[in-house]
Amino acid sequence: MKVRFWGVRGSIPAPGPDTIKYGGNTSCVSVHTKTGGLVIIDMGTGLMHLGNSLLTGPFGKGQGRAAILLSHTHWDHIQGLGFFPPVFIPGNEFTVWGPGNSSNALEQILEGQMDPNFSPLQSLKNFSAKFDVHAAVCGEAFTAEGLTITARSHPHGNTTALAFRIVEDGKSFVYASDVGQPTEEPAPAEMIEFFAGADVLLHDTTYRPSDQATRRNRGFSTYEDAAAAAIAAKVRRLVMFHYDQDYTDTDVDELAESCRAYLDGHGGKQIVLTPAREGDELEI
Amino acid sequence: MKVRFWGVRGSIPVPGRSTSRYGGNTSCVEVRPKGAAPIIIDAGTGLRRLGKSLMEDAFGDGKGKATILISHTHWDHVQGLPFFSPLYRAGNHVDIFARQRDTHLEAVFSQQHDSPYFPVPLSAMQADVQFHEIIEGAQFSIGKAKITCTRLNHPWVAMAYRIDVDGASVTYCADTAPFTDILFGREFIVTAPSLDEPLPADVAAELAKMRAGVVALAKQTDLLIYDTQFTLDEYRLRPHWGHSHPDDAIQIARDAKVKRLCLFHHAPMRSDDDNDLILAKYREIAKPDKFELLSAYEGLELTLGAE
Repeated sequence: MKVRFWGVRGSIPAPGPDTIKYGGNTSCVSVHTKTGGLVIIDMGTGLMHLGNSLLTGPFGKGQGRAAILLSHTHWDHIQGLGFFPPVFIPGNEFTVWGPGNSSNALEQILEGQMDPNFSPLQSLKNFSAKFDVHAAVCGEAFTAEGLTITARSHPHGNTTALAFRIVEDGKSFVYASDVGQPTEEPAPAEMIEFFAGADVLLHDTTYRPSDQATRRNRGFSTYEDAAAAAIAAKVRRLVMFHYDQDYTDTDVDELAESCRAYLDGHGGKQIVLTPAREGDELEI
Repeated sequence: MKVRFWGVRGSIPVPGRSTSRYGGNTSCVEVRPKGAAPIIIDAGTGLRRLGKSLMEDAFGDGKGKATILISHTHWDHVQGLPFFSPLYRAGNHVDIFARQRDTHLEAVFSQQHDSPYFPVPLSAMQADVQFHEIIEGAQFSIGKAKITCTRLNHPWVAMAYRIDVDGASVTYCADTAPFTDILFGREFIVTAPSLDEPLPADVAAELAKMRAGVVALAKQTDLLIYDTQFTLDEYRLRPHWGHSHPDDAIQIARDAKVKRLCLFHHAPMRSDDDNDLILAKYREIAKPDKFELLSAYEGLELTLGAE
């Protein structure tokens, strides 16, 4: 599978000359499968740019199909949806898998984003494409676009966010953004088990430790949390993701250097480190 | 007074290299009367950086006072509010004015802060936040500044504002479609209607009245900030989106005899180079006109009236 980053920023898009290297769009990652399938993870503002790029293929002709995995429904993970051109082309089909007790509840949350006070689209019903919404059941593997996917719920401030483990022909990619332990205790064993042996672990690295210290209640990780989890889970590659909106490119460069040093100093020398950058691709 | 642009983009923020000169943040303009508290027009993502800059002054000590005038509550005009640092400091006072909706404004704005969309509820803001519902035609004062407003032609209605203070004025018209083809209300318009068929007389009259209201509001204003999301060709493909183009803005500027016209609310996919070309083209067209033509970019600051 081929993973591409369309938005790597946390909380709110951060346009400006000081975010050009890593990018200022909010969370969105695409996974293209070997057999031509497409799985999209999160619908931050990066989704608009992914959508524009898809228009030259089947999605431009109303013959496209994709699964969308949604970690949670905070704005920065859904605000690209109304600007995703393929949903306005009849014939395209999307299946959303996200958090919630019921599919209906999740659909109503997404519907709320289109409320006419806030969006000229007024309702999901005004999409021309087929747009099905399902609550993902944690711990039960399901298949989407030929990939085997398992979801797991993790603490995220006063709520939770889903992480996804995606497997194709024995190769595994774990997406774990917007996760933060409520205390300084290390990540629980069940979580490490979910990450275990992944070829690529994409993990929340919103903060440097000094910033997390004053904002732990927000439910994000530091690069140290991410590195520690990667070491414990013996993953091959760690991808840093969901940078704080106030961090400049220089800050993220430093974050990456510090993360490398932490890995090297704590038994993770063999782990490849990749700070996610808009437009970059990873072959897994 | 000083006018500073913090967000000039329409629809959705667009970070990236191709938008870094004009800026990718959504609508937010700061009007600073001489020696007085800021009057902010719209709360797009540009508001975040404005908030950070305000925290370096009285707002950081919990002694700040600001007014926010909201044109309408579409996301690109409100999504910076939860990231406006002064709201998180006790002692600050923020007045928010917007057009009356079906539900009380506070309820509308609360939705943006509610779980499961945002972690911090509006009710948890430490600053004193007051909502003021207004209707088109309302006139009110903020300190020494006089505010007037009229409605615009946009889905679910947007409000234009004029601020008169320090012997000068600024008029903000976003978002609006031209007043020629569609009368926007509550309906969702699925496809672009034909632009060649004549409008029903009552619709044409309503639009003419709305346009006259805008021209009257902008009469001889020192600075007219206008929604020019589209080029004329783009507008003809998407007249049902509720945005205008420079040709229309220039006509309004002529009729209102404004001193400066500023193109604003740039389309998300409009690159800096495209914006340069549009500005150059319309500067040529507006050469015989008496007004100066500008294109808004993040960080642009103008002084209106006496220094």
